Amino acid sequence: MATEIKLPRLGQGMEAGTIVKWLKSEGERVEKGEPLYELDTDKVTQEVEADASGVLLRIAVAEGEVPVGETIAVIGEQGEEVSVPSPEPAQKRAADEEADQSAEKPARAPAREDERERGREASTEGVTEIRPGARNGRGRIKASPLARRIARERGIELADVAGTGPDGRVVAEDVERAAASGPPVTAPVAMPARAEAASEEVQVEQLGSMRKTIARRLTEAWQAPVFQLGVTVDMERAQAVRAKLVELHGDGAKPTLSDLLTKVCAVALMRHRPINALYRGDTIELHPSANVGIAVAVPNGLVVPVIRSAERLTVAEIANARAVLVERARSGKLQQGDLDGGTFTISNLGMFGIERFIAVLNPPQAAILAVGSVEDKVVAVDGQPAVRPRMELTLTCDHRAVDGATGAQFLTTVKQFLEEPGLAL
Amino acid sequence: MPEISYREAVRDALTRAMREDDDVFVLGEDIAEMGGSMGVTQGMVDEFGPERVRNTPISEMALAGAAIGAAIQGMRPVAEIMYEDFLTLATEQIVNQAAKHRYMSGGQVTVPVTFRTQGGSGWSPGAQHAQQLEAWFVHIPGLKVVFASTPTDVRGLLWSAIYDDNPVVFFEHRTLYGIKEEVPEELEPIPIGKARVHREGEDVTVIATGRLVHEALAAATEAEQSGVSVEVVDPRTLQPLDEEALIDSVKKTNRCVVAHEAVTRMGFGAEVAAVIQYGAFDWLDAPVERVGARFTPLPFAPIMEEWCVPHANDVLAAINRTVGRNGN
Repeated sequence: MATEIKLPRLGQGMEAGTIVKWLKSEGERVEKGEPLYELDTDKVTQEVEADASGVLLRIAVAEGEVPVGETIAVIGEQGEEVSVPSPEPAQKRAADEEADQSAEKPARAPAREDERERGREASTEGVTEIRPGARNGRGRIKASPLARRIARERGIELADVAGTGPDGRVVAEDVERAAASGPPVTAPVAMPARAEAASEEVQVEQLGSMRKTIARRLTEAWQAPVFQLGVTVDMERAQAVRAKLVELHGDGAKPTLSDLLTKVCAVALMRHRPINALYRGDTIELHPSANVGIAVAVPNGLVVPVIRSAERLTVAEIANARAVLVERARSGKLQQGDLDGGTFTISNLGMFGIERFIAVLNPPQAAILAVGSVEDKVVAVDGQPAVRPRMELTLTCDHRAVDGATGAQFLTTVKQFLEEPGLAL
Repeated sequence: MPEISYREAVRDALTRAMREDDDVFVLGEDIAEMGGSMGVTQGMVDEFGPERVRNTPISEMALAGAAIGAAIQGMRPVAEIMYEDFLTLATEQIVNQAAKHRYMSGGQVTVPVTFRTQGGSGWSPGAQHAQQLEAWFVHIPGLKVVFASTPTDVRGLLWSAIYDDNPVVFFEHRTLYGIKEEVPEELEPIPIGKARVHREGEDVTVIATGRLVHEALAAATEAEQSGVSVEVVDPRTLQPLDEEALIDSVKKTNRCVVAHEAVTRMGFGAEVAAVIQYGAFDWLDAPVERVGARFTPLPFAPIMEEWCVPHANDVLAAINRTVGRNGN
């Protein structure tokens, strides 16, 4: 029986999502768990996986905003009748054109009555491939569940398969044999045409949904009255702590300086609650735990997954959480829940050799920390020149929520913790 | 790597636990000087004395109750029920008391007691000394049920049973006491709730317990001669059941035979068959076959006894039915 694909709720408070594009065409075979379409929500664009296997019979919403729970597609068997209409005429035309090109044109009209007449078996998953004629002539076809599944997946009519099992039961081997001898049954895959840009011409790229989201949110952020504070930190002890953590890390992810920094900032945020705040226009929310967002570069953009209650985690736990989130971010598998609830953000460009930069606020968060690279510098120590590993931190604060002295106290604490990591205990 | 018998493996687990832990003791009928009617506790009274290797009156109800009481008070008793047929006399204590106290006290009381027992055919013990009643106890929430088939398994699982905070009914099989196997010097506890794949195969999974594990392995060797590759899996723990391992195996082989010595009707295999048909429905290429004893009290006459209970050839016939051989 056909499965209606509905728009899922991917995070708390999600009421609607925007379908960016479909990764499968109507008539194409889909396996459960395969990416089916791209969905844009407030914070993330993600590939959503199919929750049923079969043929994508109908795309009901080609693109645009859809409320949670609305049917957006139908997956079922080749040739099965679909009762969900294509609502947009333009989309329907496109679907028709595509259907004309495919080997088997999906039936159009809803036919619940016919289905009911075909009886109980016809409405049971896996038996829809029995044509009424075949069934009337031969009675219910005996086939093992495995044989039925294989037949369903390959679009083979069980009625055409000779069963060699007990009492003529069709077993998997029989279907495999029929599949090997029969003609290919899957619809041709529609390849999206892609214009090749000649190198001397201006290359025009449409904004993807992630770029659109970045553009919209950062334009909003730019309206905030911000100020920056900078400190330079002696990193000798922090590096020693990190080296020790790496030595001890065992099976977990290898801790990085960023992980140490996440921990240190989380502890500092707990001592300076006004920084761990969200600016809401009429109110300022001071949050009880440090949900630290870490900016992660991904192809064509960036995302900020959140490490929750980082003040309660060990650096090793932070490293493990960070490794999972970064992996999900890079493979496009982030869920809305991975991105919700941040109270502070760290953006680290040190690994690119950037010594200092100014990060743009991540509203409604009150502050964001920009982290530079660790560089050996000659500095005065006890009146003598000495070479020390130094790192620059730049804190951007939303002045509507945070004042200079408050920000300075927080940043000083972060500096102290990094220079004397024991103080963060 | 000493070679020890299944009987010695049981004794080894008991002895080691009693050496390490004063809370562990054994009680049962004729288990002290006589060493138990199956010889499992032979010599233990010499090492631990009659306080910790306690003979009891011939009353399963009384000895089960005493064990449960001691467990509630913080001991880890191991009660021997001479024949599992005699579990019937202790069911009030095991089913209504041991299984319920943790739940009914809201977790204030635990009952870390182990009931060791044995049974099974193969030596003409007759209808009252050879039953396989494990399914009765799998049916009771609050009990864990173990049925080990090898020296290594019986030793490691008995250890885990003794140290489990819940009552465990621990089944041994009479005809397995003599089988020998090399075991590690160190006793490695085997977690309760983990199945063991004895032999990997491609075409059919035999899920077997107790004596039938060995019959299934013999049948698998036989089937291999005719090109059928058999996987043999022993759940080892019947409650909780390692459903995932069983389902995964059947998803690989697409066919399943369940084999035990107990009667087929309402047997443990019925539960396994239900688990498999639900968890691996779309992977099944044949009905789940069940192998078990005929539905009759067991006769004394050896030739009739043998006809009633399943053997390797019965498992083989079921294997062949699942792969569509022999015209069955």
